[in-house]
Formats: sequence, structure tokens, C-alpha cells
Amino acid sequence: MKRIFTISGLMLLLLFSFDAAFAQNVTVKGKITDAATGEALIGVSVQEKGTTNGTQTDVNGLYSIKASKNGILTITYIGYATKSVPVNEQTTLNVTLQAQANELAQVVVVGYGTQRKLDVTGSVASVKGTEISKQASVNPISGLQGKVAGVQITNSGSPGASPAVSIRGLGTVFGNVSPLFVVDGVWYDDISFLNPQDIENISILKDASSTAIYGIRAANGVVLVTTKRGVKGKPVINYNGYAGWQSVTNQVKMANATEYATAINELYTSNNVSPVLFSDPASYGKGTDWYGQILRNAFVTNHELSVSGGTEKVTYHLSFGYLDQDGLAKTNNYRRYTLHLSNDFKPVKGLKLGYTLSGLSGKSADVNGGIFHQLFGVAPTLPVYYKDGAYGDPNDYHTGDGNNYNPQATLDFFNQKSRNMRFTYNGYGEVSFLKNFKFKTSFGGDIGQAEVRGYTPVYAATFAQKSLVSNLDVNHSETRNWIWENTLTYDVKIKDHKITALLGYSAQNYRTKQLDAHAQNVPYVGSGSQRGSFPDTAKVTYYATPGSQVYTRALSQFARVNYSFKDKYLLNASIRRDGASQFYGDHTYGYFPSVGGGWVITNEDFMKDQKVFNTLKLRASWGKVGNSGVPINPSILTVSADPYLTAIFGTPQTTFPGASVNTVVPPTIFWEKTQSTDFGIEGAILNSKLSFEADYYDRKTKDAIYPLPILGSLGTNGGVVLGNQATIQNRGVEFLLSWKDQATKDFYYSISANLGINTNKVLNVLSGNIPIYQGGNGIANGQLATRTVVGQPIGEFYGYQVTGIFQTPQEVAASKQTSAKPGDFKYQDTNNDGVIDSKDRVVLGSPLPKYNYGINTSFTYRNFDLALDFQGTADVSVYNANIAYRFGNENFTKDFFDHRWHGPGTSNTYPSVNVGSTDNAKPNSFYVESGAYFRLRNAQLGYTLPGSILSKWKIQKVRLFANAQNALNFFGYKGFSPEVGGSIGNMGIDANVYPLYATYNFGVNVTF
Amino acid sequence: MKNSKKTLLQKAVILGLVASAISFQACKKSFLNVAPAGNQSATQFWKTQDDATKAVNAMYANLREWKNIAFAPIAVESMGSDDAEKGSSPTDATFMNNFHNFTVTAGEGQVSDFWAGQYQTINFANQILGNVPGITMDQGLKARYLAEAKFIRAYAYFRLVRAFGDVPLRLSLPKNASDYNLPRTAKAQVWAAIESDLNDAASVLPQSYASADIGHATKGAALALHAKAALYQKKWTDVVTYTTQVMGLGYSLYPDYEQLFRTTHKNNQESIFEVQCMLVPNNPDASNSQYSQVQGVRGSTGGGWGFNVPTADLAAAYETGDPRRDATIIFRGETTPEGDKIPADGDNPMYNQKSYVPFGLYVSGFNEGCQQNKIVLRYADVLLMNAEANNELGNSAPALASLELVRARARAGNAAILPKVTVTGQADLRAAIYKERRVEFAMEFDRYFDVIRQGRGAAVFGSRGWKAGKNEVWPVPQNEIDISGGTLTQNPGY
Repeated sequence: MKRIFTISGLMLLLLFSFDAAFAQNVTVKGKITDAATGEALIGVSVQEKGTTNGTQTDVNGLYSIKASKNGILTITYIGYATKSVPVNEQTTLNVTLQAQANELAQVVVVGYGTQRKLDVTGSVASVKGTEISKQASVNPISGLQGKVAGVQITNSGSPGASPAVSIRGLGTVFGNVSPLFVVDGVWYDDISFLNPQDIENISILKDASSTAIYGIRAANGVVLVTTKRGVKGKPVINYNGYAGWQSVTNQVKMANATEYATAINELYTSNNVSPVLFSDPASYGKGTDWYGQILRNAFVTNHELSVSGGTEKVTYHLSFGYLDQDGLAKTNNYRRYTLHLSNDFKPVKGLKLGYTLSGLSGKSADVNGGIFHQLFGVAPTLPVYYKDGAYGDPNDYHTGDGNNYNPQATLDFFNQKSRNMRFTYNGYGEVSFLKNFKFKTSFGGDIGQAEVRGYTPVYAATFAQKSLVSNLDVNHSETRNWIWENTLTYDVKIKDHKITALLGYSAQNYRTKQLDAHAQNVPYVGSGSQRGSFPDTAKVTYYATPGSQVYTRALSQFARVNYSFKDKYLLNASIRRDGASQFYGDHTYGYFPSVGGGWVITNEDFMKDQKVFNTLKLRASWGKVGNSGVPINPSILTVSADPYLTAIFGTPQTTFPGASVNTVVPPTIFWEKTQSTDFGIEGAILNSKLSFEADYYDRKTKDAIYPLPILGSLGTNGGVVLGNQATIQNRGVEFLLSWKDQATKDFYYSISANLGINTNKVLNVLSGNIPIYQGGNGIANGQLATRTVVGQPIGEFYGYQVTGIFQTPQEVAASKQTSAKPGDFKYQDTNNDGVIDSKDRVVLGSPLPKYNYGINTSFTYRNFDLALDFQGTADVSVYNANIAYRFGNENFTKDFFDHRWHGPGTSNTYPSVNVGSTDNAKPNSFYVESGAYFRLRNAQLGYTLPGSILSKWKIQKVRLFANAQNALNFFGYKGFSPEVGGSIGNMGIDANVYPLYATYNFGVNVTF
Repeated sequence: MKNSKKTLLQKAVILGLVASAISFQACKKSFLNVAPAGNQSATQFWKTQDDATKAVNAMYANLREWKNIAFAPIAVESMGSDDAEKGSSPTDATFMNNFHNFTVTAGEGQVSDFWAGQYQTINFANQILGNVPGITMDQGLKARYLAEAKFIRAYAYFRLVRAFGDVPLRLSLPKNASDYNLPRTAKAQVWAAIESDLNDAASVLPQSYASADIGHATKGAALALHAKAALYQKKWTDVVTYTTQVMGLGYSLYPDYEQLFRTTHKNNQESIFEVQCMLVPNNPDASNSQYSQVQGVRGSTGGGWGFNVPTADLAAAYETGDPRRDATIIFRGETTPEGDKIPADGDNPMYNQKSYVPFGLYVSGFNEGCQQNKIVLRYADVLLMNAEANNELGNSAPALASLELVRARARAGNAAILPKVTVTGQADLRAAIYKERRVEFAMEFDRYFDVIRQGRGAAVFGSRGWKAGKNEVWPVPQNEIDISGGTLTQNPGY
């Protein structure tokens, strides 16, 4: 490896000394503006056609370029139609650009470059940074929800967790399901660390012909993120700040104290226990509103200050961000500082150098992860405090089982602080030579460090919440990743033939380490800070967090050719060869080819006279991509040396470390390979006011790595074995319609709607027709609620069909469930064998949504702007596991209490309060509900101060805005939120108890 | 000049590209050759004596694991008996009641936990038996390790066969595809395999260990378990043979029955085999036994869960004045010999005293009572097995002698209680031995299977729904049958 660096270092040195020369005759100057609004466009690329000679407009939209007097300038700007203007010996060329009216004329970011959308043969969607940053969301991924057809974002309700992303359905069972994120050329699993304000553009590559150039990790799609860079001109200072709050919405109502006491008494009676627990339920009144006690309207404030500008030779963009966000639970807080710096240099003609540095420092006061479960379960009969100020103790009320905690005490005595530092970097050098060639080398990476410190003091709050010794636990993790990429591009136009060829190679290294440390009897240092760390005398136990150590490498070569003839016929072919260290022997390397073709019908001569279509294009593509995001070294049998395997012998007893093999691994594991085919049509009509795009895709994952549950009699820990043992298909269509118009002189508006319809199906599993049962997470008593079987979607819900509720002992006696009690579920004898058993289970629904859709609108009237984004899913099921997940005296939801069976004739759908019993808690149709929802995802209203006022203050722009996220939600689901997610096989099983929240912000954006 | 620079650049770029590509090719093998992070690869294991020792340690340590020591054994090995019931709060873990009321179905989680737990033990033993023979190490130690693995494997199969009857018999690590999905082996052959393992173990294992190694399986443990295996098969002569051998090994009854179970008297002269547990400072993961915690007094300092509580029927089964009643049962409102006051308004009237750890030993951050060893075999068991088998063979004199040893210890010198048994009629003496066995070993996870092997299931448990022809065994876990694709069959009646 050392050698490679030396060589390229040498090469770069040579490049510095080079001064390119081209024939240049005139200096052309001009201003580039938006055709509709007349606004100056900043950072527009102005390039002399057929050369690598180019510049960008400054902050006032001005440019200056030396060009051949007979040359042609190509003006390109993301989101605008590309224009070619002949110089014709002029020295002033003012150009107006048409804003994205014609989607096909847009320039989009693709793998290792940019392309006109017209030239793209695959399925690529583009989202502007402003569309993300203007939302009331601090997470850039979350901002993509509802924006792009076929992209499903599932927000986790858990505070601080990243949303899950899937593009075109679920293509893997055990591997990484999320797409690859490429930020300025550096690869990531997740981009939550990015400040949305620093994002210029996001490009989503959906089909295999667009993604195959990222072969190694492209199987779930690729999301390309370009961050902001400086443009030529005087320094522009921009301030953007807002403040607002998050508040709980669509809260699940719980039973009040009287209702709770009534229900628990019924539960005792149902279990033949007397006396009942509460002699006079009515005496408890409404009791404690625990959600009101613990949750709050959480304050959030965010500030961002950026400065950018530059000269012909040097441009810069520098930004600082500060976020202070409270959690819904009191005491929970997160603070984030971000820094983003990019510099580009053009020291000599033909050479570009640059770098991007991003830093993040995050600090949080954490909240006990269990608090939401405690809130859900806690008895409303419990007071927060007694009269003497002591904590209300569930043990005093004998209501402890399953809810043995006073949530207020949990909040007060939980003391955990997290710190997260992350530094990402990327430097590049690009040289143009021999007129048509460009060589680019870039080295980037990620240095991360995180620490979580938890301290338990000596305390006694309630019977179950106390500690006789103090404990300090520290988890420390470190990440060191790097990627080095080199590409050589050849760009040529010979008459009607346009060819772009790309050759590249890349090396990657990923390393993560985690260490836990624990000590007892550590004195409290004060005010929640454990900076004092472990005292010198503390006996500290260290151990590596099991399963957390990662060390993988990859090495790749790739090539691509884009060819177009007369802008009518397009051809795109690529191949990538990847080697990954987690695969062995013959399976180390994989080849990932792709091919795509396009036909721009409107450029045909025979279409010249038609008036219907402004543009119309057909495209088709095929490709094969890989997923290396699978467990580390899955085929290596490893030795477990977990602490629980420590033996104890001797008098006096002492410990002896133990280690042995308690897993089974497959003999070989190789890449998951996804093959996908895509057919698309796109175009624009009505003077390009209405553009449309439709895609059909068929995506097959072959050799999907699948964890087959294995016999318990093999004695393994975990009970599964991995193997390339499934073929999974995702097939669907995607539609995008967008309308953009200027209705009057002052009124512009746009409406776009997208819809993705996906069908997931297992085509083949090694286990043949033997179903795989999973889905035990959060289900009472280890019952399995999902099934995966050939011909059906992955992990569909599977269980008993409820036909009613037993009303009387006589009815029970006459039934096939003679051990049931009145109030229990009556199950369907599906196979009519007279016995109710596991053979009677039926399919109850699928957690994978068939429809994902979004409607995005924007309106501008004079100085006002309004945007409303709607988003939703349909034809999807959720398994409401919380209802039956009971250990004893947990509270019930108000809905359950109101509808429960409590005597003959009271209900034939809801069971009695004995819902947690073994038979009632068996996965069944009662727990499966529709997970469809529709929501106003974003709403934003802005007002830009008139220029007349501002010019006095030497301010370019002041915009006041208000925005809201999740302000309106419509769903029938009875849990907290129908957005459930979960690991594969457990997907859609709702064991979450995180309240859904809405965010409201008010802010100002000032540009100097 | 400009032209020459250009040429130089071109050359540099092309040279650079070619050179880089070549060096990439040259170093890519080593570049991608990365040692797996985290756990050691098994191919580097099984090389040294130290590896063998670690594997043996892991096998013993696994006996403390949740599935082997906590809920699953309570459900499968205790709940069915007339000595114990669920306890805890009436609404907590009500599935335990299904074991007490014999309404268990094949989908019951504790059934599959118990099954999986035993086979995990068997895997650890098979790993040793399959891999340690190839290690170059001290021959004597190697033989001992193999013998220990056989003892532990026999113990796991013993627990399986009495709970399920026919079970898949895995005596080696799976090699071929056909080894993975084994059908059930007839009960008789499982018993034969247990006996064969115990024969091998007893011939190698030492009678005792140096103090640092106490807790490893001994010759006495192998013989005692062999006696028990014979007892379950009604091989009375064998029972007498093996118990007599154990009786010649120097074991004796611990004089104080109540103290026998305290953490201060682990591995005493009566102890034949115990699951070793301790509170390992700064290491809650190695202090993982929840044996005592799940049965612990509710409302105590560390927060016992209060499951597996003695029944009123058990409390009434003792002869008047039998000190074992108070030593076995913690009564609500009492003060224990260690001075712990048990709240009078607790959730349950009685708790298991044999798993009790004095509250003062609780350390926050650790499972309550994680110090408590679980006694698997003790000398009193050998004596009562000897008594039962001798009586079945018509030898009342040695039967009475063994029985008297047990009663005399319980009596602790108090002539007013537990009079010497003198009946010689086989049926009367059998009843006396059965009764003695119940009170001596109450809450020690044998009673349920004792009653069944004695053929008295319907008589003793019938009122709770126990049915002959079905309830002699528990159901084979449904998920196991599902995964086997029908290779495994269900027990009749489930």
C-alpha cells in the first residue's frame, strides 16, 4: 500500500508544476438570471463546449470567461435547463435560464459525475438541498420522506435514532437494508451527522444501471449527497436561525385510576384470585396523568452562519451550526455543533484541487430508554410523590408486576451523558490533459469517537429503584474509515457521437472498535459530570462490546461508457469488480455489470411537427449489484468467550475464563447479488408545464443471506445459521407527475405527486416449503408472529383467526377450546380437524407497505411563499404487540378498557382484561391492524421583506418563516404511530411506546 | 517549452496510472487479507491445553445460564409437582400455571427454553469430546476432561429424557448434512447412552480434587448420577451397586439440614455435585445465576421474584416437629435464622428456603442471590436411592439402615421427633421411603419426576388434571417440530 501512496504523491507534485495553455481569444462577461423571476443565479457553470475550460457565476450572477471567439458556451445549473450560447465574437453575453420546467433538461448528479437528465438511461431522482433544509427536521434523511417515488423512509419514534430508508422494497433479509450514502465521494452507512443546511443537492439512484458503478454496496440503491461549496464573488454571509418546539400528537389515551383499578380487579377475578386488589376503584378518581408528568413541549433552537465567496482561483464555503434540542421527556437534551469548510483551488489552468472538512461535536443528556415503557405500564393509581415528598412506590400498592417503577424516580436518578465527535474529510486533485482527459484522485474518510457515561449513585427511591453501591459505566467507541478513489474520464464529441468514458479504482478501509469499562464505588463528582472518570483506586473491568469490532477492507476497479448519438439514442454500460475482505477464497471478488439504453423520441425528425410533447423519452436498463453489508466474516466459526462462560471452582471460589464454540456457520458465504431491470418513460407536455415519469422495475436478490432458524437440539446460542439461501423479488411501478405554472404575474405554483407500488415476494428459500417463523421481538411469551415462505412476502404476519369472544362457560364447554375462559378469544379451526392448534394459523397481513406516496406543493405570491407536503402509505399492516405484552398489573389503553369484554354480551371483538394469558396472547388477527396513514408532513410559510427596505440596510435578503412537521396525521391504528419498522422478520411488530410528535418552528433567514 | 511541459504531464499521468494499477494488483492479496475483528477464529482454537481448559470451563459455566437454572427448570421440573406452585403476583408469568394445571401446549416458551438449554449443555460437552482428543497435552488431564464432558452430557440427557421421553441423541458434533436433523431416539437408547457415558466417567474421574478445583465432576458424582439413572429405569440391583460404591467414598451427611443450603457451606461433605455460582466483583455477567432471585422473597432488599413457592400440601406433609419443614419453607412474617424479617403482608404465604440467600449479601447491580450454588446431587439422595432399591429387592434391613441415616440427621439429636422407621413389609416401607424422599428433597426439582417414575402420577396429580398416557412427559417444542420439517414427532396427547 505504501507504494501506491508514494507514486500518486509524486504524481501530484508533478501536476503542480504544470501550466496548461489553450488558445483563447476573447473575454466574455455576462450575467445569468432566472428567466421567470429575473433573480441572479449563483454558481452557474459556464463552460466552453468541447473543452475543459469553464467558470462559475459569482454571487451576483456574473461570470467572466476567456473563450474562443467562435466557441459555444454551455450554461448548466442544477434544477435549470441547460443552454448553449454561441460566442460569435461578442464580449457580453447575458443569459436567462428556464427553471426546471423541463425536467429532462436538468443536470443531475450521478455516480462519479454529472449528466443531463436527458442522457440518463437509469432511474435517478434529484432533491434540492433547500427542500430538505427548509423542513422542521434536524435529520437530513427524515427530510426525504414523501419526496421521491419508491423511497420509503420509516422514522423511528425512539429519540435520536436515525430513520430507516429502503429504496424499491426489501431486497435483503440479513444484510444491510439501507442504501449506500456517498457524501462528496466518501461512503457512509448513514448521514445523520450532516447538518441539513450544508446540503446542496441529493441524488437518489434507484435502478441497477445507475448504481452498478458502486457495485460493492449498491444493492439497496445509492444516495449521493453534494455539500455546499463556495462560488466566485464577494463574501456572502448568510444567517439562518429558528426556534420552536416539539409536542406530542395523537397521544394514545390510557385508562385513568378508577378504570385501571376496575380492570385489575377483573383480572384478579378472571384468574380466580380473591380478594381483588382494589376494594373501591372509584375512590382513586382520575389518578396520576403520567404522560403529563414526564413529557413536555420540547424546545428546539437552531442557528447557522455561513460565509462563502472566492476569486477565479480560490473559492470557499465555511459554515457553523448550533443546535439545541430538548427531548420530549424532561431532562433529555441534545446539543450539536457543526463545522463545514470547503475550499477549491485552481492554481493553474487544467488543475483543480480542493478539500471538504466537516466536524461535529454532539453532547446529550440521555433519558433512560425504558422510560416510555414505564409510562405505558405505570399504574395511574400511583401518586408521583407521597405527602412527605417521598416517591410513590408501586410496591406499596402491590401493583408492581411489569410496572414496578415510578417514572419520575427513573427520570431523576438516571444520569447518562453521551458525547460524540466526528470528523470527516475529503481532499481531491483533478487534472485535465490532452484536451479530452480528466484524472481525479480523492482521498476521504471519517474519524469518529463516541463515549457514553452512565452513573448510578447510591440511592433509594422506591422498592425496585435503589442502589446500595455506586456504579460508573463507560462505553467508548472509535471509528476510522478511509476511501481512496481514482478516476480517469475521457470526454469527446465527434460529429453526432458523444462519448464519455470512465475508468476508476478504489480502495477502502473500515474499522470500528468498542470498549466497555465498569467500576463500582465511584464517588459522585457533581452536577452530573463524570469527567473525573475512574478514581485511581477503582477496580475497573474492561471488556470489548460483543459483536462491535469491525475491520473490513475493499478493493475495486470500475469502468463506464456513455454514448449518445444525435441526442436521440443513448447507451450506457458499466462494470465494476469488487473485492471485499469479509468473503473468502473464490468468493472474494464479484463482478457487477450494467447496461442501459434510451431513446429520446422528441429529438426524432418525425416528431418535429407534433405539438403535444415537449419531450418524450423511453429508457430501459439492466444491471447486477452486490450487497457486502452482511455480518462480519459470516463463514468463520468463531470462539465465544463471553463473560457468562466464566467458570467458578474452588474453595474459596474463584473464576476461570471459559471459551468454546456455540454457533454453527455455513461452509461458505458469498455476495448477495441483486439483478434489476427497469423500464421508464419520461417527458413533458403543455409547454413543459406538466412533466411526467413512470418506471416499472423488477428487482431480484439472488443468494440473499438468510438466517435459517435451526434446531434447538444443535445447542447453538442464537439458534440460526446464515447462508446464501433465498431469492427475493421486488416488483413495482413508480409514477411522478409535476405541474409547474405561473398563473398571474405574481403567482407561481407547483404541484407534484409521486406514488410507488411495490410487491415483495420470496421466490425461493433453501428450506423449500418449510416456512421460517420469526417475529418474537416484543411478543408475549416468545411466540412467533411472522412467517416467511416461498411465494409470499418476507415476514408476513401469521397466526390464529379470531372468530369472536367466548361469552359464557357453556359456550366454552361446547367449543374446541375447553380450557378457555369467558372473555377469551375464540379461534377458527381452519383445517376443521376439531382441534385448535398451530395448524390452524393463517396469514394475517404484511408489514411491507404496498403503496407509498407523497404530494409536494409550493406557492409563491408576491413576497409570500407557502409549501405543503403530504405523505402516506397504504395497504400495510401493523402488529400491535403492546396490548398483550403483559407481566401482570400494567395499565391498559383507554380504548382497550372501553371496549373490553367484561361480561356476557359486552364485546364480541375485544377480549377480557385477561388479554395477556398464554392463549389470548398467541399471535392472532385481533392484534393485526391497518398501518395506513396520511399526514401533512411539512408545512412552511415564508415572507421575504421587500428589496426597497433592505437596500437601505445593505442587506440582500431577509426572509421570515414558520414551518411545521407532522402537524396533521390521519390513521386508524390504535398504537402510538403506524410507522413501525423493525429488523427483518420482526418488521411491523409494534413494541414501541414512543409518542408521535409534531414540530413547530419560527425563524429568519438573512443574507448580507 | 509549454509543449514539453505538457508531454511531461502526460507521461506523468500515464506512468502514474500504470504504476498505481500495477501496485494495486501486486498488493491486493495482502490488502484484503484482514484478520476477523472480535472473536478468535475456531481454527486457531483447540490447539493447546489452555484451550481445552477453557472449553471445560465454559461447559460448567453454562449450567448457571438462565435456561438451565431459572424459569425453564421451574416450569418443567417443579411446577407439575404437588410441592410447588407459581407464586409471585397472581398476574405475573401466568404461563407457569399451565405447568401446574397440565394445560401446557407445544408452543409454550418454557418448554423450548428447557429443550434448548439442555442441548446447549450437550453442545459444550460434544465440543470437548470432539476436539480435545486431538490436542497435545497432559494425557491424564485430557482423560479427565473427556470424562467430565461425558458426565455433564449424561446429566443433560438425564434431564431431557425424564422431561420428554424420546429425544434426538447427539453424541458427536454434526459433520454431514444428515447429522443436523436427527429424529428422536427411543427412550431406552437414550438411557443406555447416559449409562455408557457415566460408566466411562466414573472409571476416570478422581474421587476428589485439590481445593482450587473443587466443583469439577468427581467419580462420586458419576456413580450417584448412574444410580439415579438406574433408579428411573427400575434397575434396582444397579441402584444398589452404584449407591453402595458411593457410600464407600467417604461422603457424610451435613449435620445441620438448614445450614446445608447456605452459601457459607458450599461443597460440604454431603455435596456430590453442585452448580457453582458466585458474586464476581465488578463482573455482573459472570454473576449471572438467577436461581435464587426468581425464587426469592418478594419485598426483600434485592427484590426476589417469588416464583416456585411451596404449597400448603407440602407444608402439611411433614411429620410433627420435623425441622426440615422450617428449613425448607420461609413463612410470611417469620424471621430467618440469619435474622431477616419476612414482611407479614407479603404477596405469598411461603417461599423456598433452600434457594434463600440472606438479604445482607445483596449487592446492587447484581442479581439477588447470585452467590447461591444449586445442589444437583447430595449424599442423602444416594442413601434414599439405596433404601428404595434395597426395599424393592426385598432387603429391608439395609433399606431401613439407609433411611435411618437420613432421618437421624434431620432429627439432630431431638429424640422426641422423627421416630426411627421399623416397618419391614415391602409396601409399608416403600410408602415410608416415598414420604421421606418427598420431605427430604422438597423444592429440589425431583419430586415431580419421582412421583411419575413411581407410577403414582394420576393418584397424586390427577386432581389437577394429570392424565396417564399423556402427562408422563411434556410436549416436544412446536418450533422444533416445525423446523425439523416433520422429522420430529410430538408426544401423544399434545
